[in-house]
Amino acid sequence: MKSLLKLCLLSLLVALVAVILPITSHAGESKKYKRSVEKYTIPDVVLTNQDGKKVQLDTLLQGDTPVVVDFIYGTCTTICPVLSAGFINLQSKVTAANQTVRLVSITIDPENDTPKVLKEYLKRYRAKAGWEFLTGSREDITRVMKAFNAYIPDKMSHYPLNMIRSPKDGTWVRLFGIMSSREFLEEYQNVALKK
Amino acid sequence: MKNDFSTTKVISTRTACAVLLMLLCAAVSLASVPPAVDLPQSEVLRLGERMYREGILPSGVSMPAFIRGDVEIDSSAFSCSSCHLRGGLGSFEGGVVTPPTNGKKLYQPYRRPPSLDDSHDQAGRYVYAKTVVERPAYTRESLANAMRFGADPAGQIFNDVMPRYPLSDRDMSILIGYLESFSSAPSPGASASEFRFATVISDDVSPEDRQALLVPLQKFIDQKNQQLAMYEDFIKFGYKPTIDMQYAFSRASLDIWELKGAPESWPGQLAAYNAARPVFAILSGISNLDWRPIHDFCEAERLPCLYPITDLPVISETAWYTFYFNKGYAQEGEATARFLHQVKKLTPQIPILQIVQDSPVGMALANGFNKSWHEQERQAVTTLTLTAAQLRDKTTLAALIKKHKPGVLLLWTDAALVPKLPKLSKQLPASALLFVSSGYLGKKTKNIAEALRSRIYISYPYRLTPFVGSKDGGFDAKVPLVMGAESLGDRRIVSRSTTMLRQATLRGLNLLYDNLYRDHLLDIMSTQMDLIVRDYERFSFGPGQRYASKGCYIIQLGPGANPALLPKSEWVIL
Repeated sequence: MKSLLKLCLLSLLVALVAVILPITSHAGESKKYKRSVEKYTIPDVVLTNQDGKKVQLDTLLQGDTPVVVDFIYGTCTTICPVLSAGFINLQSKVTAANQTVRLVSITIDPENDTPKVLKEYLKRYRAKAGWEFLTGSREDITRVMKAFNAYIPDKMSHYPLNMIRSPKDGTWVRLFGIMSSREFLEEYQNVALKK
Repeated sequence: MKNDFSTTKVISTRTACAVLLMLLCAAVSLASVPPAVDLPQSEVLRLGERMYREGILPSGVSMPAFIRGDVEIDSSAFSCSSCHLRGGLGSFEGGVVTPPTNGKKLYQPYRRPPSLDDSHDQAGRYVYAKTVVERPAYTRESLANAMRFGADPAGQIFNDVMPRYPLSDRDMSILIGYLESFSSAPSPGASASEFRFATVISDDVSPEDRQALLVPLQKFIDQKNQQLAMYEDFIKFGYKPTIDMQYAFSRASLDIWELKGAPESWPGQLAAYNAARPVFAILSGISNLDWRPIHDFCEAERLPCLYPITDLPVISETAWYTFYFNKGYAQEGEATARFLHQVKKLTPQIPILQIVQDSPVGMALANGFNKSWHEQERQAVTTLTLTAAQLRDKTTLAALIKKHKPGVLLLWTDAALVPKLPKLSKQLPASALLFVSSGYLGKKTKNIAEALRSRIYISYPYRLTPFVGSKDGGFDAKVPLVMGAESLGDRRIVSRSTTMLRQATLRGLNLLYDNLYRDHLLDIMSTQMDLIVRDYERFSFGPGQRYASKGCYIIQLGPGANPALLPKSEWVIL
């Protein structure tokens, strides 16, 4: 009973410290991610999703709700799990409010990331419907990365990047860095509520 | 600024710091780690390893964790070893330096290697990639505190990508017990002055192939020893070596582990070799038989086996210790299935017949096809396994084709069938598609009759675009190399071995420094950048990826006695 109480206290402390630390350690600094608004021209490419279905990318990214895009790969060690944890938290929070969120991850390791690998990755993160993971030929993936000003010659040198498309005017909010789920939700809602 | 932390406007920095200090004081008092748990050491290691590698608590549930303040993560998807890697020496990925987590390093002061992201850059990458540069040694208590609250013994806050783990004292003690024990003593076969390697050769290998393997291997060993001699000479004349140089040169030796007789006896032979003179890793190796006995031995002994020459590798998504060039024959079967899946005119009503020669090669091709075909959620095809004698018989195959009337015929047979293809194809409708394996047909692939070449599709798992480099796989001669029909049936033993020794293995060994652990070598080799190599369009890596080349063309032959190889697919078929 005593150890259980201690564990509960520890969990509470971790949660509190987790909230307070980002505030205190960066108070006075600028935020830990970089935000800009961009215009991108989506290339005319057909990619393949986790179910093996062909997807016209520009069509997928249009629509009357925001869409969030990131670049990850199935066996990534450090950055992608953090980005994907952000995706799943955003999905949970938005769907809890009875809204739908459209998430699109695009692999930067098309040699390895077959639809099967993509599907298992989404399963591992307990992704719900609405999170698409796309692969394609290296040429097409390179075109997409360049279109988003996110080209990297090798997957090991990638970086954390989220982009949210506004359905209102087709602009993209580009978010470079690692956000808390509160910050990510706030950015998403800013785009969703844009008038 | 509109998107700054809104909370900072509510809580002043001073107040927050005071709250934080109080919380940390309380945390430290709570975070004391009790003496080792009442479990056998072997059980602590087993449970701790599961926590570290799989993110599973001893109770069987996921380790709770938070990143970036409030992002809850599932540790079974994102475990300690995701970033710190299996060997525990950390990684450098996406600009973030992840430090070591083995006890040997944790309980000493640490200064991490410099990172490009230590300086501000225009993209602002340093903002997220910034990690602790230097820290004092941990104790068990401060280590528990670090994992729970994300601060090192000097109070420096970790990068946001490091999760915070609210573990109980018992679970924390188990995890720390594991961290203290792993990657603590050099792996067998390695010391500060020497690496011992072996290669494996089974007695079915021809003298020519054996020689083709041993020449580049011995050259590799000789070069390492020559470099050491030059380094020692360098020191003798009073030059002071850099830290890199101190670790880059060491003596190397190569043993040849000859395997004789039935494969069932191989594990015993391998165990005897390894017991008599343990090695750090097996460099390459060659066999025409199933590689499984050697693969299984290496898994059991946690012994790296680096790029053996085999077309019959073990296909596994979880095996760790053997790096293969590709999936061999299975990869040809998989590519065929993916190509066929994309044929638009292929309706479910069109019968597909798979003829499999009753041999390890035929079975590997069929298994690769079936696995990939199943992944495409296609109905199983009709598969008939025939002996070489049945395939030679004039009437057997004809009768089967007459009976099944295939619109697609997969022929996983050896080259004895090539002369019979014209007659056989006459039995098929004009629209029928035929598939064969260049690996199984070998040099005789080019003997396929010209009249049939537009109907027959061939799996070909090697490079087709020009390669700028030397014939043996190095980069010293800048002459474009184009593969033609002469490459059919070529096992590329010299070029493949040279490529991987020079590029992947040597690089891995040079980056070990004083961390002489087998798992660390595999970690380094797994996290290297992609390679453009002579025999394959691309090699790609990643933790857990064990088949470096993922591609395989489907080709047809051009006209003439020395036909061009005409790609009919992408290198990687989705």
